[in-house]
Amino acid sequence: MGESVTPWLLLVVPLLGAIVASLSPRGSWLARASAMAAMLVVLALSLRLFLAYEPAADASRFDFNLPWMPALGINLHFAVDGFNVYLVLLAALLFPVVLGCSWHSPHTPRRLYLALMLVLESSLVGTFLSQNAVLFFVFWEAVLIPAGVLILVYGGDNRRRAAITFFLYTMAGSVLLLAAVIGLGAEALGQTGQWSFELGVLYGLRLDWNMQMFVFVAIMLACLVKVPLVPFHAWLPLAYYEAPAPVTALLAGALSKMGAYGILKLALPLAPDVAAAAATPMAVLAVTSLLYGAVLALRETDYKRLIAYSSLSHMGYVVLGLFILRETALHGALLQMLSHGVAVAGLFALLGVLEQRLGPAYRQATALSSAAPRFAVWSMVFVLTTVALPLTSGFTAEFLILFGAFAQGLAAWQAHAGALPLVVALLALTGMVIGATYMLRYARAILFGTDNGAHRIADLRPMEIASLLPLLLVILVIGIAPAAVMGKAESAVAQLATARTLAVSALPAAPEPAGIGGTHGK
Amino acid sequence: MASDLAYGLLPDHLLLALVLVLMLLETVGATERLASLLLRLALLAGCAVLWQQLATGYAAEPLPGEIGIDRFALLAKLVILACGLLWSLVFPGGTYKSALLAGSSLLGALVIMDSAGFILLFLGIEMLSLPAFALIVHGAGRGTAAEGAFKYLLLSAVASASMLFGIALGYGVTGSLAIAPFAEAVRAGAPPAVAAGLLVASGLFLKAAVFPFHGWAPDAYSGARLHVTGLLASIVKGTVILALVRIFGTVGLNAETTAVVVVLAMLSIFYGNFAAIKQRSFKRLIAYSSIAHAGYMVFALVDTTGSRASDLLWYVAIYASTVIVACAAFAVLCPGEGDDVQALDGAFGARPVTALVFGLAMLSLAGIPPLPGFFAKLFVFTSVVASGYLAAAAVAFVGSFIGVTYYLALSFRLFAGDAHTAPAERVPTRGGS
Repeated sequence: MGESVTPWLLLVVPLLGAIVASLSPRGSWLARASAMAAMLVVLALSLRLFLAYEPAADASRFDFNLPWMPALGINLHFAVDGFNVYLVLLAALLFPVVLGCSWHSPHTPRRLYLALMLVLESSLVGTFLSQNAVLFFVFWEAVLIPAGVLILVYGGDNRRRAAITFFLYTMAGSVLLLAAVIGLGAEALGQTGQWSFELGVLYGLRLDWNMQMFVFVAIMLACLVKVPLVPFHAWLPLAYYEAPAPVTALLAGALSKMGAYGILKLALPLAPDVAAAAATPMAVLAVTSLLYGAVLALRETDYKRLIAYSSLSHMGYVVLGLFILRETALHGALLQMLSHGVAVAGLFALLGVLEQRLGPAYRQATALSSAAPRFAVWSMVFVLTTVALPLTSGFTAEFLILFGAFAQGLAAWQAHAGALPLVVALLALTGMVIGATYMLRYARAILFGTDNGAHRIADLRPMEIASLLPLLLVILVIGIAPAAVMGKAESAVAQLATARTLAVSALPAAPEPAGIGGTHGK
Repeated sequence: MASDLAYGLLPDHLLLALVLVLMLLETVGATERLASLLLRLALLAGCAVLWQQLATGYAAEPLPGEIGIDRFALLAKLVILACGLLWSLVFPGGTYKSALLAGSSLLGALVIMDSAGFILLFLGIEMLSLPAFALIVHGAGRGTAAEGAFKYLLLSAVASASMLFGIALGYGVTGSLAIAPFAEAVRAGAPPAVAAGLLVASGLFLKAAVFPFHGWAPDAYSGARLHVTGLLASIVKGTVILALVRIFGTVGLNAETTAVVVVLAMLSIFYGNFAAIKQRSFKRLIAYSSIAHAGYMVFALVDTTGSRASDLLWYVAIYASTVIVACAAFAVLCPGEGDDVQALDGAFGARPVTALVFGLAMLSLAGIPPLPGFFAKLFVFTSVVASGYLAAAAVAFVGSFIGVTYYLALSFRLFAGDAHTAPAERVPTRGGS
C-alpha cells in the first residue's frame, strides 16, 4: 500500500476533479478551482514520484497491479519505469501551466472544457503509465475522445473538419495496433499456455521475423501518425491551427510524446530485430520530416502554424534519436521529449495569451517588446530553448541526439556500411541551422519590428508568470545539470540499448542485413 | 421432472402469463398505463428467477432432446430479459398491443434458448419474429411500415423454409430432431450434414441480417417507429445470434462452414459500414450499422478455443443495451417521428446529459475504448486471433475503422453550431499562407 497506489492516484484524481467540475454550478469559481486543484495534486504526486524514483531500488515500489480480466491476462497495471518517469512529469506539469496561462480566457470557466481537460490528463497519464498492452491501447485511444471534442467545441472556424480529421487520422493509424496487441497476446497463449498482455511477459516472447515485422509495422503506423512524421502529418497543421491555443499547447507538448513513447515502449523492445534492420530507413524518414517541417516553418508567416511546423521538425529529432540505437541518442531523445514539450507548450501558451488579449488581430501583432516586455522576455526564453541555445534544455537534448548520430554515422562509415547514416547526421545538423533561422525570425516578427501603436496590450499577469515559471525551471535544470535527470532513465536506457545490441549480434540468420545497428553490436 | 418444467421454465411461464393477462385487460378496457407496468414487472421477476437459478447453478433437462436448460441458456435468457427490461424502461408508454407483442417476442426468445431439439427451436424462432411483423405495423400508420413489415415477413418465410429444409436434411443424416447429434454431424463434415448446417445457418443469417441476406433490414427498420427499431436491432437480432450458439455449441465448425462464415462476416462488416456512411435517416443508419455488427458477431463463430458462447453473450449484451440506449436517447433529443440525423445538430446545448449519453453510445458502438463496445469487440477478436485468423481480424479492424467515421460524425453533430458553447471571440480570417 502507500506508494504503490501513487500511479493509480495520478489517474483517479483528475477524474474526480472532472466530476466535481462538471457538477459545480454554471459559471461558478468552483469548477475552475477544482480543476486547478486536481491538476496541482497530480503535479505534486508526480513530482514526488519523480524525485523518489530510483531505478536501482526496488522496481515494484511504484507498481499498481490489479487483475481485471484474469482469464485474458488483462491487468490494471500501472507502474513507473525509466521511460515514463519523464513523461508523467511532463504531462502533469503542462496541464496546470496551460490552465494557469488561460485562466482568464473565455473558455476556462466552462465546465465541459475543464472536465474534458481533466479527462484528457487522466487518459494521457494512463497511456504513459500502462504496463499492459491492452490497457495501453485503451488509454491510447481514449485520449482521442476528450482531445477531439475539445477541438470540436472550442476550435476556430474549421473546427469540425479539424476535429474529424484529427480523430480519424490518428484512429486510422491505430487500427492495426490492436490487431498487433491481440496477436501478441495470442503468441503469449501459444508460448506460455495462457493469455497475457502484460508488457513484461510480451517482452520475453520469442517472435519470428514475420510476426516481428507485423508488430513493428502496426506499432510504427500508430506512433508515426501520433508523433507525427512526414508523410503522416496531414492532420497536424489543421488540428494545431484550429484548436484553441491551450489545447494546441497540450497537443504539441504532451500528446505528440505519446507516439514517441509508443516507439520506445512497444516498437523497439517488442520487435528488436526488425527495429534494428529498419533503423536507417526510419532515421531517414525522421530527418526528412525534420527538414520538411523546418522548411515549411521557414516560409510560414502565421505564428500558430509556424510553431506547429517547428513542432513537426523537433519531433523529427526525437524519432531520429530513438532510431540511432545508441545510449547517448536515446537519452537525447528522452530529454528532447521533455524539452520540446516544455518549450512548445510555453510558446503556444503565450500565443494563447496574445490571442486572448488581441483577438484575431494577434496574427498581425508586432513590436511587443516595447508594449509588453515581460511577454517578450518569456517568449525569448522559449524561442532560445527551441533553437537549442547552450545552457537550455534544447541544447542538451539535441546535442546528445546529434552526438549519437555522428558517432553512429562514423562507425558505419568506418565499417564500410555506407555513408547514409553520416549523411543523416549532417542533414539533421542542417535542420538545427534552419531551426535557428525560423525561430529567430519569429521572435523578430512578433517582438521587435516597427511599433505602429496598434497593439497596446496588457503585459503578462502574475498568474500567467507563475504558471510559466515551472517551465523555466525544467529548461534550466536540464540545460545546466542534466545528469541528475538522466540518472532516472539511465538503467532503462542501458537495458534497452544492450538488449538491442544483443538482438543485433544474434541477427546473422535474419533475411535482412542488420543495417547500422549491426555495426553498433560489434 | 414436473418441478423442472415448472421451475426451470418459470421465466417463460411468467411471460406467458403476462401475455394472457394483457389480453384480458385489454378486452375489459383497463387503463393503458398498466400495460408497460406489467411488462416491466414480469421482466423484472423473470430476471430475478434467472439470477436465482444462476446463483444456485441450476441445470436440468426436463424433456431430453427437446428442452434443456444449461448455464448458457440461463445466461442468454438473463441477457434477453435484462435487455427487454431496459427497453421497456427507456421507452415509456406503449399500448396493450405493443406490450403484448413485445412480451410474446421475448417469450419466443426464451423458448429458443430452452430448446434442445429443432421443433422447439423452430417454434421459438417463429414466435420471436411473428410479433415483430405486427410491431412494425402497429401504431405506425404509414405505408412504409407495411412495406417494411411485408418485406420482413416474406424474407422470414424464406428463412424458415431454408431452416426447415436444413433440419429435414439433418434428420435424414442423423435420424433425430435433437440439436446435439445434428451439431455433431455438421462438425464431422459429411457433405449432406455440411449442407444441412449451411441451410440452417443461412436461415438464421437471414433473420440476423447478415450480408447478403440483409435486404429486408433497412426498410423494416426505417418503416417501424423508433422504439420498435430499437427492439429489432437489439434483442431480436441478438437472440438470433445466440440461437446460432445454441445450435452449433462452442466447439469448432468444419472447414467449409468456417470459410463461408469468415467471408460473410467480412462482407457484412464492410457492406454495413460503407452503406451506413451516407445515411441521413437515423433508423436506416442503425439498420446498416446492425448489419455490420451482425458481421462481428457471426465472425465469433470461427472461434475454436471454446470461448464463443461467452464472447457472444458479452457482445449481445453490450451491443443490445447500447442500441436500446442510443435509440432512446435519439428519441429524447429529436422528439417526433422524423429521424433525420441533422436534428441532432447542437443538441448538446439543449440537453447536455442526454446528448452525452447518446454520444457515448455512438462511440461505444464504434468500439472506441474505454467504452463497453470496445471490450465486446476485444473479446471476439482475441478468440478469433487465438484460433489463427489474425489476417481476417486485421481486415475486420479496418472495416470497424470505417464504422468509426459515421458514428463519430453523429456524435460530433451534437456539438455542431452550438451557440451556447461557442467562444465569444471567433477568428474570422485565415492568416498566413
